[in-house]
Amino acid sequence: MQALSIEAEKYSGTAFQTLYLGGGTPSLLQARGVKILLSELSSIFDLSHITEATFEANPESLTPALLESALSAGLNRISIGVQSLADCELERVGRIHNAEQALQALEKASKAGFKNISADVILGLPGQNWSSLQTTLSRLINLSLQHISVYCLSVEPHTPLASNLPADLPGEDAQANLFEMVIKLLAEAGFLHYEISNFARPGYECQHNLNYWRGGEYLGLGPAAASHLKGKRFKNHSDLEAYIINPTGQLEEVEELAAPDKAAEEVITRLRLLNEGLDIVALSEKFGTVNIKALSDKLDRLTQKGYIKHEGGRFRLAAEYALVSNSILFQLLGD
Amino acid sequence: MMPFGFPCCKSTSMLISEEMNNIRNFCIIAHIDHGKSTLADRILELTGVLHTTDNKQVLDSMDLERERGITIKAKSVRIPYKSNNGRDFILNLIDTPGHVDFNYEVSRSLQACEGAILLVDATQGVEAQTIANAYLAVEAGLEIIPVINKIDLPNAMIEDCRSQIQDMLGLSGKDALLVSGKSGDGVAELLEAVVERVPPPKTDDNAPLRCLVFDSYYDSYRGIIPHVRVFSGSLSKGIKIMLKSTGKNFEVDEVGYFTPALVPSARLTAGEVGYLGAIIREVGDIHVGDTIISPDFPDTPAVPGFRKVLPMVFCGIYPISTNDYPKLTLALEKYQLNDSSIVYEKETSAALGHGYRLGFLGMLHMDITIERLKREYGQDLIATMPSVIYKVITRKGEKSEEIYIDNPSRFPEPNFIERIEEPIVATRIFVPNDYIGAVMDLSEKNRGTLKNMEHPDTRRALLTYEFPLAEIITGYYDRLKSVSRGYASMDYEFTGYKPGPLVKVDILVKDNQVDALSYISDRDSSVGKARNLIHKLRKLIPRHLFSIPLQAAIGGKIIAREDIAPIRKDVIAKCYGGDISRKRKLLEKQKEGKKRMKMVGSVEVPQEAFLLLLKMEDEE
Repeated sequence: MQALSIEAEKYSGTAFQTLYLGGGTPSLLQARGVKILLSELSSIFDLSHITEATFEANPESLTPALLESALSAGLNRISIGVQSLADCELERVGRIHNAEQALQALEKASKAGFKNISADVILGLPGQNWSSLQTTLSRLINLSLQHISVYCLSVEPHTPLASNLPADLPGEDAQANLFEMVIKLLAEAGFLHYEISNFARPGYECQHNLNYWRGGEYLGLGPAAASHLKGKRFKNHSDLEAYIINPTGQLEEVEELAAPDKAAEEVITRLRLLNEGLDIVALSEKFGTVNIKALSDKLDRLTQKGYIKHEGGRFRLAAEYALVSNSILFQLLGD
Repeated sequence: MMPFGFPCCKSTSMLISEEMNNIRNFCIIAHIDHGKSTLADRILELTGVLHTTDNKQVLDSMDLERERGITIKAKSVRIPYKSNNGRDFILNLIDTPGHVDFNYEVSRSLQACEGAILLVDATQGVEAQTIANAYLAVEAGLEIIPVINKIDLPNAMIEDCRSQIQDMLGLSGKDALLVSGKSGDGVAELLEAVVERVPPPKTDDNAPLRCLVFDSYYDSYRGIIPHVRVFSGSLSKGIKIMLKSTGKNFEVDEVGYFTPALVPSARLTAGEVGYLGAIIREVGDIHVGDTIISPDFPDTPAVPGFRKVLPMVFCGIYPISTNDYPKLTLALEKYQLNDSSIVYEKETSAALGHGYRLGFLGMLHMDITIERLKREYGQDLIATMPSVIYKVITRKGEKSEEIYIDNPSRFPEPNFIERIEEPIVATRIFVPNDYIGAVMDLSEKNRGTLKNMEHPDTRRALLTYEFPLAEIITGYYDRLKSVSRGYASMDYEFTGYKPGPLVKVDILVKDNQVDALSYISDRDSSVGKARNLIHKLRKLIPRHLFSIPLQAAIGGKIIAREDIAPIRKDVIAKCYGGDISRKRKLLEKQKEGKKRMKMVGSVEVPQEAFLLLLKMEDEE
């Protein structure tokens, strides 16, 4: 934590609108740790205008004490890594918690006083089908969550799962079917599909993440943390030991794109916002008309093909193509 | 030992100088892998021309040749040799291509020689190209020295080889020399035999300049360098020469010989083998087999046997990106300078854009050319289905016409076609007894007609088949090797045209007929083959955002169809603060990957899909 303070000092006095405690498993911080950390950050930065402060947690490490501490430290949103409410599925991917613990964690968060609760769900788990996924989601909805993130299982190389690929892993088309049903179910339950992987009750969209997708600026502290400041994107090395020894010397991957490329990058992330989409006029004001000319032409072409809709001055990814966004968005890059 | 001067030197019309007497022009002919190149290396080592520190084969200087284990371009080497009785000789070893595709070049190289070492692998015996090459050598009037190679191997069957040489080639088997190209055993004796038995070149000092061009290659400074054998007269710097077939004149800039590096010398005289430089830049100015004469004696007879290159197999070549068309044009021009047996002309496909139609001597020639173009010239290319030249007899009302077509997409409307004829080849196949059945099955499937079967020895059969060339060019050779575990060998030659029950099959990708993918098939197997092809194509074309029907049709009738379903989902993963750069880079990579695809209408087709068509292999 001292290291974090040292790194934070570099940007002393900066004001922020949102805060996110995540990256690893902050719930390991425990009650006292959270308190001290937030207090430190408040003294270094101007956190008086923070509207959303998220705390990321795993079900097995949430205690009432921790929750209490988080709330009093100013955190007002919590994201819990549920993944699934089917024990067999959780076991297949080596999760420590079970469904019961996950449900309890959510209850505890609500009881403690969190009004903005989010759960992560994974689609494509071994043995998963619509029946089990529907059960998971319905139970979550019944707990009156405000926000649900749905990600497709990605099998990382060199993991136990990778070396032992299960035979009942849902294939690509099966995943697509499941996702479509997820969208429908959540819509019926009042959740807005506001970003490709994220669903929220109106007003409960994650502000911190919205900033990412809108091309906003942000500061990341800690090992592997990423930032976007003054037009540059940079990241810290992921080595914890090295970070502790030298918190301010961990920069790697500093990138500053030329204006047209920055614009393209922003278009790609904004189009992930399925309702909000992209305002081309605002974009040309931000980057300069000449820099977005080529981009604009490409958007028009994609619109002609039906992959993108151009309505009310905004470009939006057509809903039926939300799941194949990569195949569409890459066309906006390069020449 | 012969006294100095042969009996014929007493004739006044044929004065043989001492120099000419000591020249021996010879080559090594053999079936593939019988050890020609290794033997050549041993000869070069033994005579001190080359010191090979590793076992690299010296005359096959091109990577591709080494990889495939074959000689493509002929080369020659001048070898100074001191015989056992102390006399100095000049041995000109002319290396020859061993593959059936390059028969013409072999015959021209043979024309430059007086003798040939006929090499037979002791473990294999006489094989298809042993016979083919022996015939060529006999036709060229060469003194043939049969030699049995690889005698060091445990399974060498020397006596069998002797009998085969006697019975199948009509040459003296019992006198065949025994060598091991690998260990060098017998090579010294072989060289003595060459000196003794290969006659010196006959020359006529009174005759005007007359040389044979038996090979050529391109040098960026000096232009096209012909390899020549001088029959009469002499070549030196400054003299004027004329190429008989084109009538073009040039001035000689340099002459010399090969060691195999180029060594300039003052002159090349009758009987000698070497090169000349005359700053010849245009491919069309010089042809293998051409005769070089003096412009002062335009009636000097040409060396017989010259013929213009006869391509047998054609395919279309297109750049992946239309922007690369000029680069392809340049690459082909350069390529042809080193391989004048390639013919090509511009071609346009509605589906693939601008490209070229290339004509090859055979499948191997085609494979190698495309491979070389890709490597040496860095061309991202797609090649279409190989085709032979069909003879199409059309009838429009009363009028009947005979046209030759090498591009199936150029076929006239079916209702105008009265008859289609295809080129037929007579094929010799050697196959061990164990695989006779399999080879006969394979041949029947490929429309082969068995003409004859004999047994040159107790281990194997010699099958003579008649095949449509079209069947041979679609991977028959590979399949033959496959069903016979590599033991079968074959040789073929064109014998004429025959009508066939042939149809044109069109390929449609997402309702667009891709003209460049049309091919000719025999009616009976057309549906099966088309289904197979469509099935394979489906696996090679990636899913798009829309459905892609793949169809094969004859006339307007669809005979095969498979649909490529649209992609339903790509990666759905987190995209937060630390993921944005990486995500963008991933998309950039995706974009790069698309560049290697050829757009056929709105469908991106990878290079591999076109290469699949080139092979048209059977189901594994």
